[in-house]
Amino acid sequence: MATHRSKALLILARIHFAGLGLQGSVSRVTYATSASANPSGRQGFPKRGRKDSYGTARKFRKEAEPRAVKMPVDQDWPTVCPVAIPFRATAIPLPVRMGYPVKGDVSPEKKGNLELVKIPNFLHLTPAAIKKHCEALKPFCTQWPSALDTDAKCDQLFPIKVESRDYVFAGPSVRTPKACVIHLRVKLSSLNLDEHARKKMVKLVGERYCQDTDVLTIKTDSCPLRQQNHDYAMYLLTVLYHESWKTEAWEAQKTVADMEEYGWENSPSQKNILETLVRMKVAGQGDGEEVREQLLGRTEVQRYKDSVTRLKNEGPSESSLLQYKEAVKKILSL
Amino acid sequence: MAAPMALCRQLLSLARASRALDACVGHYKFNAIRSRLPLSSSLHTTAVLASTTSPITVTEEPDTLFQKVSVLVKCSDHAVLDSYEFFATMAAKELGITISKVFKPPRDTERFSLLKSVHIFRKHLVQYEIRTHYRCIELSHLTGSTTRVFLEYIQRNLPEGVAMEVTKIAMEKIPDHILEPMWKDQPTDDKSSQ
Repeated sequence: MATHRSKALLILARIHFAGLGLQGSVSRVTYATSASANPSGRQGFPKRGRKDSYGTARKFRKEAEPRAVKMPVDQDWPTVCPVAIPFRATAIPLPVRMGYPVKGDVSPEKKGNLELVKIPNFLHLTPAAIKKHCEALKPFCTQWPSALDTDAKCDQLFPIKVESRDYVFAGPSVRTPKACVIHLRVKLSSLNLDEHARKKMVKLVGERYCQDTDVLTIKTDSCPLRQQNHDYAMYLLTVLYHESWKTEAWEAQKTVADMEEYGWENSPSQKNILETLVRMKVAGQGDGEEVREQLLGRTEVQRYKDSVTRLKNEGPSESSLLQYKEAVKKILSL
Repeated sequence: MAAPMALCRQLLSLARASRALDACVGHYKFNAIRSRLPLSSSLHTTAVLASTTSPITVTEEPDTLFQKVSVLVKCSDHAVLDSYEFFATMAAKELGITISKVFKPPRDTERFSLLKSVHIFRKHLVQYEIRTHYRCIELSHLTGSTTRVFLEYIQRNLPEGVAMEVTKIAMEKIPDHILEPMWKDQPTDDKSSQ
């Protein structure tokens, strides 16, 4: 019974509100408006039990002038709106309209416009406010050292780059496991490594080294905290460095298949070309160590060696194939 | 090599913000600022401490150097991102931070088809889509203190419905224990550590 009564009262109140002359906003409402019916209707509600005729005796409070009209033009806006506030049409002195235009008309006005309430506004971050905030924050900032103006200098003095990520979002959990991941990047040319150590380091890290950019990337995500991951990455780098300088006993068993680059000395190519030249009797009769040594010293043989090495290491390309062709023609005196 | 190193160290040891920005002392300072200019209403309401203008403590710890700080913001509404980009770039300019790039990665659209009706009518589907717009602001050459200040300011004023991902690339010197191999003084006898 109570609900029926309250519903009836609400309906009556709404009709009455319309009848007071605020038809314009009510009839044009095609959007959801905030507090459409009447906030003030409740005030003028007669208490239950009183047999008052609605409307004639009761006076509804006149709508007050919106605060925005009374605001001076040259007021300090950051003081008026220091924090993020929801949009209130009566408190913001801007004649702003928002929403899809009604047919034959413009967008709806700001009064009762929910679209303006829904969207986040930046009224608290006007340029004046930003300047004020930054003035207050400036003492906490530090200058970048002026000697490190170019990237080259930075890379020379600080070769190790540590990449970390932070995430800010609204979600069900406080934890973001992705935020603990660390990527440590360093150029091998900036570390103190000799030839053997460099090759061993490259073999030890495998996939983590990029040949083209000479960058070693160590990714650590096994520890729960970012600081721990960072320390672990530095530890890995230290271990790799010191291990690569060591020469183990079994490293002497390195075969041709393990070599990183092609070496012409004692390769089938060398044997074949020497065999061919000896058969062609280029250096005169006989076949022995001295003949082979002499053949090796010749410029054509050296050029052939360079072209074969280049072809094997860099792969076939226009210029390398051309070079090989010229070298072969020279050496076989075609 | 020695001279620029010394210079850097000297410059690094100049006035620096206290590391304890994230510790209670930092809170103290931020509360002091907050009493003058509350930055955002979404701050957890710790009691405003007696705001005496506490001096900025300078520690001898060297500041981290960030070669690049990349801020990627995501939202469903590109207008909000436009305003946020204006705010972030202006804040960076005011604080004297070099902005290397501001660009707009292409938006992602996630579409899916759902049944219109609660029961049966499999042939009648309705399609929805979620659009995610991105904006990326890349800053370069920042110190650790400046980064912390800037990021905290930016993140406290992050509007509703916007997510942020910050990628920081810090530069570090080669630590002392990697400068020389530790076997250098020892004869190269093969340590069979199989």
